[in-house]
Amino acid sequence: MKFYFSYFKLRFITGLQYRAAAYAGLATQLFFGLIFIMVYLAFYESSSGKNPMEVSELVSYLWLNQAFFSLFYMLYKDGEIFDLIKNGNIAYELVRPKKLYFIWFAKIIGQRLSAVTLRCFPVLIISFFLPKPYNMVLPIGLANFILFILTLITGTLLMTSIVTLYHVITMKTLNEKGIPQVFAAIADLLSGLVVPIPFFPHFLQVISNYLPFRYVNDLPFRIYTGNIGLQEGLFGLGIQLLWIVLIVGIGYIMTNKSLKRVVVQGG
Amino acid sequence: MKLYLKSLKLHFKSMLEYKMSFIISFFSQIIIFFSFYFVILSLFDQFDNIKGFTLYEVLLCFSVIQFGYSICEVFARGIDRFDRLIINGDFDRVLVRPQNIILQVLCSDADFVKVCRVIQALIIMVISLVNLNINWTIYRVICLLLMMISSIAIFFGIFLLAASYCFITVQGLEVRNVFTDGGKHMAQYPIGVFKKGFVLFFTFIIPYAFVNYYPLLYFIGKSNNILYAFSPLIVFVYLVPCFIVFHQGTKRYASVGS
Repeated sequence: MKFYFSYFKLRFITGLQYRAAAYAGLATQLFFGLIFIMVYLAFYESSSGKNPMEVSELVSYLWLNQAFFSLFYMLYKDGEIFDLIKNGNIAYELVRPKKLYFIWFAKIIGQRLSAVTLRCFPVLIISFFLPKPYNMVLPIGLANFILFILTLITGTLLMTSIVTLYHVITMKTLNEKGIPQVFAAIADLLSGLVVPIPFFPHFLQVISNYLPFRYVNDLPFRIYTGNIGLQEGLFGLGIQLLWIVLIVGIGYIMTNKSLKRVVVQGG
Repeated sequence: MKLYLKSLKLHFKSMLEYKMSFIISFFSQIIIFFSFYFVILSLFDQFDNIKGFTLYEVLLCFSVIQFGYSICEVFARGIDRFDRLIINGDFDRVLVRPQNIILQVLCSDADFVKVCRVIQALIIMVISLVNLNINWTIYRVICLLLMMISSIAIFFGIFLLAASYCFITVQGLEVRNVFTDGGKHMAQYPIGVFKKGFVLFFTFIIPYAFVNYYPLLYFIGKSNNILYAFSPLIVFVYLVPCFIVFHQGTKRYASVGS
């Protein structure tokens, strides 16, 4: 455990070095946040029917999306791991008497947490002080906030297990551009990063309920805004845990299987 | 021109060497690209109009911008990834050759996978045109063609600006995404939808509004002002400072060595 934790720490600290990139990213994130909000507001203004989300809920949801974007988008590729697979350095990893799956798991989570630590706070702080209706609002209650933090943590673990899984798949396909990319694009769509889930057509909402992606970020964000009640939120937390166990299990078994027949690339 | 065509052919051939990889990325691009359309489709599933613009009007706007952007992604990729040329010092080689610099940079790279985005944008365009019931006149045809050409021109200009920026910073910074990706994202909707400040910025600083807002108004018959049909021409004026800035940049260029 300590061993894997040090991998995590290493990647986390390395990631924190890239501060300039993070600040540059901040401008992008704020700009995108504003554009999305304006588009939705324009839709709201010109419609008279019932809206799937309140304006304040929606705006907070969109800002959370922007703030945690670098943590939750699935199209994430760990260049270091792909290089390992492609140039054959994976052999070195295999010499180590530790589980490859958990090394990768720790690396990915460290990388992504460092990226989000640099980015989320400025976005959140600025978005709180924007004029109405563009501002983010506080969660509706303490209980909601606690549950938000809890589901955010499990959501992070769930995201890592999914991302690690398609890195494992790449070990078989050797091409990160094909199936893993399609997989990640669909995951991004169904996780609510592109459009909040309540705006989906009904049948897609049903489908997304049966897939793990929604539980990565849609669940915590909607708990924060109060769009999902506490009871439903707790139920969601349970589903998150189930998915984590399942996906980590699949990834772990797949790693061991493909390691038995691993072809070391290059020389 | 002949030189450019030859380099395109070479890039295409080298791409075909990896056939399987090409096919796979081609299809995965289609699915990734679909997620852009998904936003609009699902929003219009909930609402019926955005400030008076209907689904197909927005899709038309959207496809014009996507068309220009993906054409630039295919053919002007060398400029898009200009920071690489500078970082690894290859730009020095470009400078010693007796050929136009921009032409050479254009020749340095091309990405044919993105052709599928061009095709998709055209398909969406045709679908929306069929559904829009346009009262076709010769001016409307010219208007649409101008929109498409100016859409290519504006992204080319922005790519050039971003490339000249690399002369100063060496590495391409993420800030440029605000103007390329961010601008693209914004221009997918009729710009009148946004707040005043944004509209002014994207009319006079980066003239997206002349690509797909004013001409669109004429095209779908929301305005009868014939000037709007020819407003995309302003974008070409905008290209002039872009070229000048790039030229100034090459003059001040100090090699990073290798």
